[in-house]
Amino acid sequence: MSGFRLPAGGRIDRARVLPFDFDGRRYQGFAGDTLASALLANGVRLVGRSFKYHRPRGVLSLANHDVNAMVTDGISPNLRADGLPLCAGMRLLAVNTFGSLHSDRARVIDKLARFLPVGFYYKTFFRPKWTFPHWERLIRRISGLGQLNFQAARPVSAKRYDFADVLVIGAGPAGLAAAVCAGRAGARVILVDENAQAGGSLTYARPAGEAAATAAELLAALAAQANVEVRTATFAAGYYADHWVPLVDAGNITKVRAKAVVVATGVFEQPAVFRNNDLPGVMLASAAQRLIHRYAVQPMREAVVLTANEEGYAAALDLLDAGVRIQAVIDLTRTGEKCPAALEVAQRGVRILLEHCIVEAHAAGDGSGVKAVSVAPWNGSGMAAGARETIACDGVAMSVGFAPATALLHQAGAHMRYEELPGQFVPVQLPEGVFAAGRVNGVYDLADRMRDGERAAWLALAHIGLGTHVPAEAARARRAVSHPFPFVEHARGKNFIDFDEDLQLADFYNAAQEGFDNIELLKRYTTVGMGPSQGKHSNMNAVRILAHILKQPIDSVGTTTARPFFHPVPLGHLAGRGFHPVRRTALHARHQQLDAVFMEAGMWLRPEYYARSGKSKAELVREEAKAVRTGAGLIDVGTLGKIELSGADAGELLERVYTGRFRNMKPGTTRYGIMLDEAGVVIDDGVIGRLAEHKFYFTTTTTGSATVYRELQRLITMWGLRAGIVNLTGACAAINLAGPSARTILAQLADFDVGENAFPYLALREGTIAGMPARLMRVGFVGELGFEIHMPSEHAPALWDLLMRAGASHGIRPFGVEAQRLLRLEKGHIIIGQDTDGLTTPFEAALEWAVKMDKPFFVGQRSLQVLHKQPLRQKLAGFMLERDFNATPPKECHLVIRDGQIAGRVTSIGWSEALGRHFGLVFLAPDLAKEGMRFLIRVDGGAMVEAQVVSTPFYDPQGLRQKALDPAPAAMQAVSA
Amino acid sequence: MMPVRTGPLHTLQAASGGTWGQLNGMPTPLRMHSANTRPDPALADVSALLRCGLKGPGAQDWLSAYGVPVPERANSWCAGARGGLVARLGRSEFLVESAWNDAQAMEIAHALRDPVPGVYPVLRQDCALLVQGARTRELWLQTCNVNLFDIPAQNREVTLTTMVGVSVTILKQPLGNDICYRIWCDGTFGAYLWETLLEIAVELGGAAVGFAEVFPDAATLPTITL
Repeated sequence: MSGFRLPAGGRIDRARVLPFDFDGRRYQGFAGDTLASALLANGVRLVGRSFKYHRPRGVLSLANHDVNAMVTDGISPNLRADGLPLCAGMRLLAVNTFGSLHSDRARVIDKLARFLPVGFYYKTFFRPKWTFPHWERLIRRISGLGQLNFQAARPVSAKRYDFADVLVIGAGPAGLAAAVCAGRAGARVILVDENAQAGGSLTYARPAGEAAATAAELLAALAAQANVEVRTATFAAGYYADHWVPLVDAGNITKVRAKAVVVATGVFEQPAVFRNNDLPGVMLASAAQRLIHRYAVQPMREAVVLTANEEGYAAALDLLDAGVRIQAVIDLTRTGEKCPAALEVAQRGVRILLEHCIVEAHAAGDGSGVKAVSVAPWNGSGMAAGARETIACDGVAMSVGFAPATALLHQAGAHMRYEELPGQFVPVQLPEGVFAAGRVNGVYDLADRMRDGERAAWLALAHIGLGTHVPAEAARARRAVSHPFPFVEHARGKNFIDFDEDLQLADFYNAAQEGFDNIELLKRYTTVGMGPSQGKHSNMNAVRILAHILKQPIDSVGTTTARPFFHPVPLGHLAGRGFHPVRRTALHARHQQLDAVFMEAGMWLRPEYYARSGKSKAELVREEAKAVRTGAGLIDVGTLGKIELSGADAGELLERVYTGRFRNMKPGTTRYGIMLDEAGVVIDDGVIGRLAEHKFYFTTTTTGSATVYRELQRLITMWGLRAGIVNLTGACAAINLAGPSARTILAQLADFDVGENAFPYLALREGTIAGMPARLMRVGFVGELGFEIHMPSEHAPALWDLLMRAGASHGIRPFGVEAQRLLRLEKGHIIIGQDTDGLTTPFEAALEWAVKMDKPFFVGQRSLQVLHKQPLRQKLAGFMLERDFNATPPKECHLVIRDGQIAGRVTSIGWSEALGRHFGLVFLAPDLAKEGMRFLIRVDGGAMVEAQVVSTPFYDPQGLRQKALDPAPAAMQAVSA
Repeated sequence: MMPVRTGPLHTLQAASGGTWGQLNGMPTPLRMHSANTRPDPALADVSALLRCGLKGPGAQDWLSAYGVPVPERANSWCAGARGGLVARLGRSEFLVESAWNDAQAMEIAHALRDPVPGVYPVLRQDCALLVQGARTRELWLQTCNVNLFDIPAQNREVTLTTMVGVSVTILKQPLGNDICYRIWCDGTFGAYLWETLLEIAVELGGAAVGFAEVFPDAATLPTITL
C-alpha cells in the first residue's frame, strides 16, 4: 500500500487484506474500507467522470452521497464508491466512460462546454422536429450514469413491513440520545442510519477520542435495551402519510409504520464554489475527517483549507494531526473565528488569510488531481478583488457551511424558516407525531444535540402515551455555521454548483435572466437537484444564488418541493418480490389434468381450450364447440359472480337495480337481467333465480361480482331495505353441462326429476346430485339444452368426475372459454365489457327487450328516459362476411370505415362451422345497422373487408334447441345472409 | 354419509406426499415430517374443519338461542361451547368453526336451512391455514402490513386485512403451549396464498406440516392412500 494509509487508527481491520480491481488495475485495501477509501489509501484520486462533460471527479463527501464516484460490478449499474463496502476480489469499473476512466474519449466534451450551457438542447434540437429523436439518442448515449445489464439474474428482494413505537432516523449524537431515552421509557424503537456504523459525526468529529467515547457510551446504553433495534447501512428513503417510512438496506426495502418519528438526520456539508472546485483532491472538510478517523487515510499531503466556520479549523487540526502540511487556511470571513480550534491552528504556525477566497484550483497533469490554488481577497459577495497568489497543494478541504437534511421533514409537511444564525432552514412547525433533533433542528454543539435528542424523544413518548415529561426548548446555534454566499465568479466558469449534472454558477444567472427566477422554475430549467444526489450538495446553494440574484431574503425564495425518494433506491428493491393474486376455481386441477391452456380473466385463471397433440388451437376450439352442438360439453363457469339475496325486501331490491321485472317471478324460475349505472350505461348482466318468496340467487359477470356485491350492500343500507346479501362467488363452484345429451347424462346422477316437464327451460331447481347439494338452472347461453349446476366448491371435483364418466358414451368433452365465446356468438348473446363499453346503453346494445321502462324505478331509468328521446349514437348488429372470403379476417376492435370516417367497430368475430363463414357483432352508425346493409371493415395493413348486416341470432333463431324442442341434434338452423 | 369433499389445497398438498387421513370427508395430510422434526414457521392446511357462517340482524340472538357463545365485540372471537371457535366478523356476521372432532358447524348449517327472519346463512368454503413458530413474525413482516405479531393473544382480536394481496381473516390463539395464527381466505385464492406463504416460509427455514402435527390427537385418524 502507498503512504496515504496512516500507521494507526481508523475503523478498519488491518489483519484482513482485501485485493480488488478497479479500472483494470489491482489494488489492496482492508476490511472496513469502502472502495473510495481504499482507492485514496492507494493514492488514487480519480474515481469517476462527470455526468455531462466527462470531467475527472473524485471523492467529495465520502458520506455515501458521491454521485460522481459511481462504479459498476457489471450487474449493479451505479454503485457509489464512497459507500460501497470493500470485498475481496471485487472487479469494478467507473461508469459513463468510453474507453478507460483515465483516457475517456468523451472527455473532449469538456472542451466544448462553453457551447453546451444549461438548456442548450431545449433550444437547439427542436427544429426540424423529426431530428430530435436522433439527438436524444446521441445525448443519452454520451451522458448519464451506468448501463443496465439485462442479462443479469433478477435478485428476489423481499419487501418487508415493520413496526415501531418510535422510529429514530439518524444515529448521530441526537439520534442516539433520542433512541436511548425512548428505549428506556419502554418504547419499541428502531434506530436507523445510512452509515456502516452508528455514531454519525461522533465517528469522525474532533476531538476524536472524546467523540468516540461518547458514541461508545450511547451505543452501550442502546445495546442494553432489547426493545431498541439499531439498523446501520440503512437509509430512510422517504416519508409517507401516517408515519410510513421506507427503510432501504443492501438487500431489502422495509416499510416501517411508526407511531412517532424522530428525524435526526443531521446536515450535509456544502461545497464552496470556485473555478475547478470539482477536481479530484478538492473535498469537503468532513470528507477529509472521515478519511482520517474512519479509514486511517491521509486525505492529501499538502492542503489548503477553505473555511468560514469553526468546523473548518477543527478539520485543519485533524489534518495537521494526520501529518498533512497545511499551506494556508483561507477564511472567507472578515474577522475569522475566535474558537479554540482557530486559535490552536494559528498557534501551530499555519498561515491564515482572512477575507480571502479561492479563485481557482489548478489541475495537476492529466486533471486527476490538484497542484495549486489561486487565492485572492474577496468582497464577500462573489467577486475576487486584489492580487492573486498561487499556493501549491495537492488537495483542498472545504468547510463553508451546511444544509440541513430536511427532505423527510418537508415530505412530512413540516414548515421551515431560514435563520441567519446558524444560517440554515429550521423547522418551525412539525406535523403531529414528527419531531426533529440535532443539527437538522439547528442545534450544533455536541451536548446541546444530545439534549435535543432527548427532548425529541420525550415529545415522541408523550405523543404515543408513554411519557409526560415536558423537556426544555431546543438550544439552536447562535453562531454563523454557514456562509451566506460562498461563491466566487470566474470569467472562464467551471465553478460548479451541482456536481450531479455539471451545473455552473453562470447557468443560474443565465436561467434567472431568461425569466426562470422562481426556485421551482429554476430547478426545472437548470435541473439542479434532479440528479441522483437529489440536491444534497446543490439545492441550498441554488437557493442562496437565486436570493442573491433577486436581492431577496432566502426565506422568501423558499425551497423546492421534496419528494420521495431522496436517496437512490435500487430498482431491484422496488421490484422486489411481487404479489400478484390469482384465483383458481375448484376445478383447476381437473383442467390441468386435461391439458387446459389457461387464460387470465380478471384475477381468474380459466381454460381457454384444452390442448391435444397435433392439433391447432383453432381446430380444438371448433371441435369443442361441435361437441356441444352434437353431444355434450362441460365448462367450468365457477368464475361467474354468485350472490344469494334474502329478506322481505329482496324482490324490491332486484326490481330497483335490474331493468327487468322480478317481483312477479315465481319461485323455481330464472330471468335474464341487466344492470345499469346512473347514466344508463350497461354495467353488468346475469341470471336471476327465485328460490323462495324471499330468497333469490343470481349470477353476475366474472369481473363484476365484487363490484355488484359492494354496490348492492351499499344500496340495501342506503334504502333501508330488509334484505341480506351473501357473496358466494368463491364458495360455490358452477359447471355448465350443455348439449343435446345433457339431460340424459344428468339424469343418471340427479336425485330428482330433470325431465322437460319437471325441469323446463329457464327453471331453477335445488336438489342433490349423487348425494351432493346443488342448485341447477336451465340456461341457454351457448344455444343448446343446458344445465348450469351450482354447488359448494368442495364437491365440484367429484361432480365433474361423475359427469365426465356419465357422459363418456355421449362424447362429452370439456370446452373452454374460446368455444363458449363462439357458441354464444352464434346465438347473438353479448358479453358485457366486450360487446359493450363504458358508454353503451341498452338501446345501443339491442337490449331494449330487457328494459321495462314502465316500472316505477330502476337505477339508470331517468337517464334512459332522456336518452330515449335522443338519436342513437350507435347500434349493435350482427354481420357476416361472404362465404367465400378467404383473406385475413377482421379482428375485434377493427374499425368500420365509411367515406374515410369511422362508422363503427367490430366487438366480436368468429368462424362458425354451422354457418360456414365468419360472423360477428359490430357497433355501427344507426343508419348502417339495418339488415342487408353492406359496410367496410379496415383490417390490419389497411385492407378493406366487406361485410353485411344480418339479424341475430345467427344460429337456431327460434331458440328451439335450448328449449329442447328440436329433437334432431345434428340439425343446424342457421340463418343465411 | 358425507359426500366426498376436496379441499382447495388438495392437489398442491398431494404432490408433497406424507401420510394422509380423511377428516370430515376431506382427504387431509396428517403428517409430513417425523415426530421430532418441527419446522419453523410451520404451515398446516386445516380447511377440512367444518365451519359455517351466518349474518344479519338476527344472527347474534339466533346463535345465543342455539347455545353457541357469541363474542361481545365486533372483530373478536371466543371458544365454542364444544371446542372450536366463534369469530365475530364485524357487527352482525359470524364464523363458527368446529373442533376437528366435532360437527356443530354442520348442525348449525342444517338448522339454518329453514329460513329465519333476519338471519342469513353464509356458505363457508374457505381455505383455512394454521401457522406457528417463532419465525412467523418474519413471515408476517414480509406478507402483511398489519402488525399481527404484536397483537396480544389474550385480546382475542379478529383481524380482517389483506395478506399478499388476498383478503384474509386472521386471529391468534393458544395451541398447546404455543401460540398459533389461524387464517381464512376465499378458497379460490387458497392455492395462491398457500404457495406464496410457503415459498417465503421455506426461505425462512420452515415447511408445510400435516394436520396431526398441529393437532396431535388427530394422529388417531385412520390413514388413507390417495
